[in-house]
Amino acid sequence: MSEAQATGTVGVAPLGSPWHRLGAWLASERVFRLLPFIAVEAIFVLVIIIPFLLTVYISFLKWRANRPFEQAVLSGFENYVQVLTEPGFWTALGRTFYFAACAVTLELVIGFVLAMLVSRTVRGKGLYITILLVPMMIVPVVVGYNFTMLYIDSGPINQLIAPFVAPFGIDPRIRWLSHPVAAQWAVILADVWQWTSLTFLIFLSGFAALPKQLVNAARVMGASAWQIFWRVELPLLKPAIVIAVVIRSMEALKIFDPVVLLTAGGPGTSSQSIAFYLWEQVWVFNKFSFGAAASIILLFIFATLIFLGIYLLVRSSTAVARGVR
Amino acid sequence: MSAVPAPARAPAEAAAGARNVRRRRLRTALRHAILIGWSLVILFPIYWMIATSFKDSGEWVTWPPHWIPHQPTLKNYQQIFAPDTMKAGVAREATEQPFNVWGPLADSLLICTVSALVALLLGTFLAYSISRFNVGGRHFRHAILMIRMVPPIVLAIPLLMYYAIMIPLATETVLGARIVLFDTRLGVSAIYIATTLPFVIWMMLTFIDEVPYTLEHAARMMGAGRTYTLRRVVLPLVASGMVVTFLFVFILNWAEFLLALTLTHPDVVTLPVLLNKFQSASEGRLFGPQAAIGTIITIPVVVVGILIQKHLIKGFSFGTIRK
Repeated sequence: MSEAQATGTVGVAPLGSPWHRLGAWLASERVFRLLPFIAVEAIFVLVIIIPFLLTVYISFLKWRANRPFEQAVLSGFENYVQVLTEPGFWTALGRTFYFAACAVTLELVIGFVLAMLVSRTVRGKGLYITILLVPMMIVPVVVGYNFTMLYIDSGPINQLIAPFVAPFGIDPRIRWLSHPVAAQWAVILADVWQWTSLTFLIFLSGFAALPKQLVNAARVMGASAWQIFWRVELPLLKPAIVIAVVIRSMEALKIFDPVVLLTAGGPGTSSQSIAFYLWEQVWVFNKFSFGAAASIILLFIFATLIFLGIYLLVRSSTAVARGVR
Repeated sequence: MSAVPAPARAPAEAAAGARNVRRRRLRTALRHAILIGWSLVILFPIYWMIATSFKDSGEWVTWPPHWIPHQPTLKNYQQIFAPDTMKAGVAREATEQPFNVWGPLADSLLICTVSALVALLLGTFLAYSISRFNVGGRHFRHAILMIRMVPPIVLAIPLLMYYAIMIPLATETVLGARIVLFDTRLGVSAIYIATTLPFVIWMMLTFIDEVPYTLEHAARMMGAGRTYTLRRVVLPLVASGMVVTFLFVFILNWAEFLLALTLTHPDVVTLPVLLNKFQSASEGRLFGPQAAIGTIITIPVVVVGILIQKHLIKGFSFGTIRK
């Protein structure tokens, strides 16, 4: 059966009209298959690829935003050398990895425990799930704002710890966000508060998908709860754990919003993430070509991690498929 | 275990059973205690924001802080919803600084709705082609997620230069007119479409994969064309999935901050950018109106999120529960 015949039977426009011919052309196998693909690829090229190529070009220029773009001169790899020898860049990058490691570890542990507890609860299960998923839906900027309200010197956190520190003669009105280490942990905790809900969600669906027969079989064969957890459930949950680690690490390395809202990178530069550092270089100091070179270096670093992540994801998802079959 | 326990061991077993029951009760109680504890951790910051939004300026920062507003007031909401406070003249105090939520609310709604709709439309069709014809090859599904994993700061720097410099230059030489995408709703929408498309495709793939191909095949056999089959057979079956995907993408755009902050400056303001504007210490922190804005941003999203929660769980399982 040819395509023209097929569309002809139900075509709305009269046969032979330009609209009908357009419709038939759009419905023909070749076009129909590729049209959405081409449209989407066109958007990616226009909005992502071309700007990226432009950035590559700018990264070889000697140019700051306060001078006209047309007068910029090529400078070779100068910007790249500058970025790679800039200690601020490396400190911010290292700190981002530190943030991500701390936050993701906490999120995984808390999310896993919560998912395990909820999956074994009968009464109030739906309510718990609803409440535990709320942080995910809250705009990160609002989370940042909320946590500034909690951390300020006359906030509720200080009120709660007041009875414990007051006897030692310490003023309980501590300025958490003015202390370098406390400011870093403020950012980490805000991230944990928000994204534990995502790891919880991933683990919850992991627990829901555990094959009941295997667990029951182990129980019938006399395995203790401890053994069932370590020997049966945990290995089966490995794909969910990989997914949670990959997705959360990727997101945690992008951390920007809570840094801006909570500390604005301060005190000093002690809580700058790499995203905030680059943002500041470009928007505050106008170092456009420096920013371009830095973002390309960053993209290379991230691309390596992304490939690693995708590889782990694909491997674990095929492992699931094999396991179920 | 034997079916009939020996009579001599019955009391001992009964005692063990009672101990087991007690232990199980204790465990259940502990479980609920932990879950309620974490629920409080989650709800407290949200409660604190809502409480602050009803506090008058004197109560924003007091020591000890007021857990419940002593004199609840709607002043903060009146302030942000007041129609052009700019006309009222110079604000007498910092707390009456005019800032209006209407413009940013309209910008946010417009940008998020349009970009979510376009992304949904394109993404659904592409998901259909991927699902049915394997367009783009076997690994296209995973490859497309990579775009999502690129940190937005890496996109933001090129886009700023692209919107503010390259497009004006190019259009001036080619068309003779300067078109600037920087600080326009179109510019922000375009990048939102590009960044959310991977999610749309990924989510719609899970829905479309579930539609049995035999249905389509039957329709085709009976003489329906491609577009007709798609419109009358496939789309009705994935309609609820499309609604969920739309809402999900809408929420993603609604929450987006870095790109909006970067690609707009004075004219277009989205709600997160508005909230951030009053965060700098030099302006005199306006905690109350900020809390009111935060509440306005949060409540609709949380309500929608709870409504689509069941689907979110499915969409976020990333294939872990696919059988």
